[in-house]
Amino acid sequence: MERPSQGAQLLGSLLAALAIAAVAIALVTAHFGPTSSAERELQEERIEQREEALEERRELREEQLEQGR
Amino acid sequence: MEQLIEDVTRGNVTEVKVVIATVVMGLAVYQLLLAAVGYGWLRPRFLSSAPALWTHRASGDTIALLTIAVATMCVGYYGFDFGDDGGTHAIVAVGLLGVLAAKVLVVRVGGRLSRLLPLLGVSLLALIAVTWLTSAGGFLGIA
Repeated sequence: MERPSQGAQLLGSLLAALAIAAVAIALVTAHFGPTSSAERELQEERIEQREEALEERRELREEQLEQGR
Repeated sequence: MEQLIEDVTRGNVTEVKVVIATVVMGLAVYQLLLAAVGYGWLRPRFLSSAPALWTHRASGDTIALLTIAVATMCVGYYGFDFGDDGGTHAIVAVGLLGVLAAKVLVVRVGGRLSRLLPLLGVSLLALIAVTWLTSAGGFLGIA
């Protein structure tokens, strides 16, 4: 088998480096998932706020019921 | 500094750091193979010494830049932690930056010091691996 030209060898070795970088990025991103931690924190914050609002409403309703008795 | 890092990474400081560190780790292993071809220790049919060494230098420059970026993010955002949690990571990372600086200096100076390059290269790979394992490896569930 004949060895490829120097230019082709150079290009191939550089492309291999790029492929390694791309695979590393893909693997780690897949591990972390598509949602960023900032978005996740925002979602958790929204859920907490919703739960707090529900709790407040429940307490208010209970107070009104007690007052009505 | 902290705010700048958070803005640039859009709040995903750790994730971005882990991604870049993993790219560095992958390229560092590739560097070892390229150096082995460059020095003639490995002789694959598809790659000769000169292009392997050229790519080794280009990839090495990229690794140096990425390592400095990760170190800046690490120190700028989390600060120095030589305590129990980040002790090993911080000490090895400082060693890594020292060996990286020494390697760049030896490459620039050349001459007799060039004989140290293989030793410095292998040390650098080992330090990159330990630094990665003690931080990114933990986040990825490897260490």
